[in-house]
Parts: sequence; structure tokens; C-alpha cells
Amino acid sequence: MIGFEKNNEMNVISIEGLRKSFNGNIALDGISMTVRRGDIYGFLGPNGAGKTTTLRIILGVLKADKGKISVLNNDLNSWGDKLRYKVNALPESHGFYGWMNAVDYLNFFGELYGMRLTKKDYQLRLSQVGLNPHNNLPVRTFSRGMKQRLGIARSMVNNPEILFLDEPTNGLDPRGRRDIHDLLVRLNEENDITIIISTHILDDVERLCNRIAILNHGKIRYEGILRSVSNEKNIRYRFLLDHEQTISTDWKIPGVTFVEIKDDQIICELKNISPADVIKAFIDSGVKIVEAQKITEGLEEMYFGYTGGKNQ
Amino acid sequence: MSSFYTLMKKECAEDILSFRSLLLFLFASVLMSIFAFLLISNKELSLLDNAHAIYMMIGIVLVLSSLIIIIQGSDSIAGERDRETLEVLLLSPIGSKGLILAKLGKIMISWLFLYVLAIPYLWAVGSIGQNLWPAIYILFITGTLLTLILSGISLIISAEMSTLKGALFISMVIFLLLVSPAVLGSSLRQTMVGRVFDFINPFMDALNSIDSVIIDSEKLNVQSYRLGIMVLYTIVMQGFLFGGLRRIKL
Repeated sequence: MIGFEKNNEMNVISIEGLRKSFNGNIALDGISMTVRRGDIYGFLGPNGAGKTTTLRIILGVLKADKGKISVLNNDLNSWGDKLRYKVNALPESHGFYGWMNAVDYLNFFGELYGMRLTKKDYQLRLSQVGLNPHNNLPVRTFSRGMKQRLGIARSMVNNPEILFLDEPTNGLDPRGRRDIHDLLVRLNEENDITIIISTHILDDVERLCNRIAILNHGKIRYEGILRSVSNEKNIRYRFLLDHEQTISTDWKIPGVTFVEIKDDQIICELKNISPADVIKAFIDSGVKIVEAQKITEGLEEMYFGYTGGKNQ
Repeated sequence: MSSFYTLMKKECAEDILSFRSLLLFLFASVLMSIFAFLLISNKELSLLDNAHAIYMMIGIVLVLSSLIIIIQGSDSIAGERDRETLEVLLLSPIGSKGLILAKLGKIMISWLFLYVLAIPYLWAVGSIGQNLWPAIYILFITGTLLTLILSGISLIISAEMSTLKGALFISMVIFLLLVSPAVLGSSLRQTMVGRVFDFINPFMDALNSIDSVIIDSEKLNVQSYRLGIMVLYTIVMQGFLFGGLRRIKL
């Protein structure tokens, strides 16, 4: 599978052939993926697919058995502990020190990262995530939504370039979920943070992500652009090439975005160009098309398609 | 260094200055008060010579401090894991070694806190004799070594066990194993097996060193082989702790 529009300078995370097993059980089976600067990248997959394991390896909490990981254009191993100043994460199960208040909690983590911030700075950060900055109550009295916001504020405490969020809206009510969506979009746009969201909640992905990867049984089943899937109901075309024909990855047709090239199959999105014009452009370039097919599917269908059917 | 200091501050606030911990120290203090009171006022116990009275008081201090160290050590990492706070700590620049160092630092402070707390009781029991100062320094030496050994054991268990309950259970079993010779009769301890167990048991090495210095009025260098074993245990345990636990599992 080859994703288009790749530019190494834009990549903040590149993974090749990542493998990990626990006591002989394969958790990750040769994962390769690329996250670009400014992406809100959805990492989708059912429970146990290997999402959290992948994130933990990228964050340096787990060690991979095999594979090459580059973060911010440096090999993961060469970063050492310095990487921790550049990235941060909101793990799925993130407990709190219930006896601290929100400002103390942020201050504790700020100091761990060597940040020299004042109480006012932390109060400002709390208001940025929609928490009352003057609330002196201990964190144990917070609702789940408030804790989730505080967790996001904590994960932003070192001004990371890449933010990993593992199931950020799990257990939140619709209002809380919407607020977290708005907050993440704001963080992505205003602070230029690349966000990677691991989730199995498709609504989160549809609302937030521009690119996705679908993971199942430790393998990436799909990686590519998402925006058109949700916004335009995924009107894409699949072109089947004549036997043993290939096209160059830097090939461009105005109005055509290549989503995937796999063997003799090209999936692309068309904007202001008809399928007939695309076929003509292919033929003019010497590429013979044997079949053109309109693909209409939503993210849900796509997800089930790649993860093994609705009943699984 | 600053992140280590920050974590130490949090550890002390959580495990030494918190209401729950202060209650634990209050309990230790009440127990030492009762024991000191009995040693001074009880007719039979007050007949003990001053050296024996101090020895018994130090024994109580060592058992109490060992118990508190074992509890704090077991809770250190398994407790963070149970409360789901371990991962965010490991994601921070403190890293595995910094985390262990801060936890160890907290345990050492706890020991020093208990040691300072015990001094008035030692004074109350032993101020009329000549053994007070030897008691104070031998308690410091053996107690510090024992703290390093027990904290090493309990922190390793805490890092390896997936639950706090499991870590506490195993640490407690080890603690009971270590203190068990103290409740055996002297005839059992004089057997070959008893002697070997006494010799390789760091808790009994500490008690026997104290016994020799306070009751037999021997010089500390006579105890160098026992203290040597304790130092060896300390090096092995701390070596395992910092060398073996390069990456704490989640």
C-alpha cells in the first residue's frame, strides 16, 4: 500500500516493519505508517488490535522487537529521554493524584518537565481546556469530563509537538465529547500540534481526523486520507489497471487525489473532474484501464470492511 | 535533578505528610510509648538491666520501621500501577531510574523520620545507663542498611508484581521470614540451621550486631562481618534495583 503526497520533511512519525509480541502472542505484525505535521491522525481498530501497544512503543514506554521508528526526523533510539520533552500523551487509563487540586496537578507535571511557570500560567491553561481556573477542590471530586479536560491540560504542559490521545472521549456524554472535539481542533489549529488519536469510536474519527489508519490483528489494513470519506460520503473511484501495469507515485492529474495504490488497483478521489476524463488522462499516459468502479461507503462500512465484518 | 526533586516532594507529601501516613507514624509512636512505658514502669520489665531494656526498645523500632518500609516499598510502583498513575510518570522525563530513585529517597526519609521519632523513647528507657549513645549510633547504622536492603527487596517486588495486593503479600511473607528467628527460642537458634539462618538473615544480623554492641559492650569493628553481610545485601539489592529495572513494565 503506497500513500501519496508523501514528503519526508513533513513526516513527524515514520514507522516501518514494527513488530512486537508478548509471550509468543503477536501484538504487532510488521506495522508501517506515516504521520505528517499538522495531521489529526485517527488510529482505528477493535479492542486488542494493537493500537495502544503501537503508541506505547512510539512513546518509548515499551520496546519493539523489530522495526524502524523515526520521530521528528530522528531515530527513536537516538532521542533517548529527550523525546519526552517534544511529545506527550493522554493514556487510556490515566489516574490522578486525587488529593491535589488542578493547579497543583499541572504544576507537579510542569516541574517534572522542567517548566518554570507561574500559578497564573497554569490557571490560563485550565481555562483553555474549559476548566474553572479558580477551582481549588481536590481532583478526586471532579467529574469524568473534568478529569478528561485536566488530563488534556496535563498532556499539553510541556507544549508538545506531537500529542497522543488514547480513547480521549471514552465514557463522556455527548456534550463532553463535543467539547473535547472542539478543544482538540483548536489545539491542532492554533498551536500547530500534530495529534494522534487512538480510538474505536468512529464518530470521533469522522469529526476530527484528516488521515486514518485501520489496524486489526496487529496489521495495518488501511492507511490514507479520511476527510473526503466523511464530508463527501466517500465518493471515490477504483480503477483497475491492465495486467502488470503500474503508475509512478509522483504522477499527478489535476483534480485527482490518489488515496491508495495496491497491486493493479488505484483508488482516487475526484474533484471537478469526471471519471471519463481521468480514464482519458490515464490512457494518454499509456496506462490502460480495464475497469472503473464508483465506491460509495461510509467510515463505518470501511471500518468493518477492513476489520473483518460487522459481526466480528 | 529538578524532576527528581519534584517527584520526591510529591512522594513525601503523599506518603509522609499525608493524613494517612501521619496516622501510621502516630500508631508507631503510640506503640513505642506503650513499650517504653512498660519497660520503665512494669515491675518485671523494669528489673531488666538498662542494656537489655534499650536492646528491646531498639528491636521494636527496627520491627516497626521495617514494616513501614516494606509497606511503602510495595506501594511505590505497584500502587502507582493500581491507581493508573504510573504511565503518565513514565512518560515524563523522570524515567524509570529517576522514579525508583525518588521512591527510594522517600523511603529513606521515612526511615530518618522514624529514627528521629525513636530517639526520645531510647532516651526515656536508657538515659540512666551508659548505653544510650552506642544505641543511637548502632541503630542508625543497622537501621539505614536494613532500610536500603528492605526497600530494595520491596521495590523490586513492587515493580514486578502487577497488583499492589500481590506485591504487599509477597513483601509481607519475606518480612515475616526475616523476623521469624527473633521469635524462636534461643535453643533453636543455636542449632546449625538456626545459626546459618541467623547469619544470612540481614534482619538478624542487625539485631545481633545491636546485641553485641549494647549488651556485650563490644566495639563496632567486632561486628564487621555481620555488617559486611548487610553491606553486601545492600549492594546486591540496589544493584538489582537500578541495574535490573531499566524499564519498568506498565
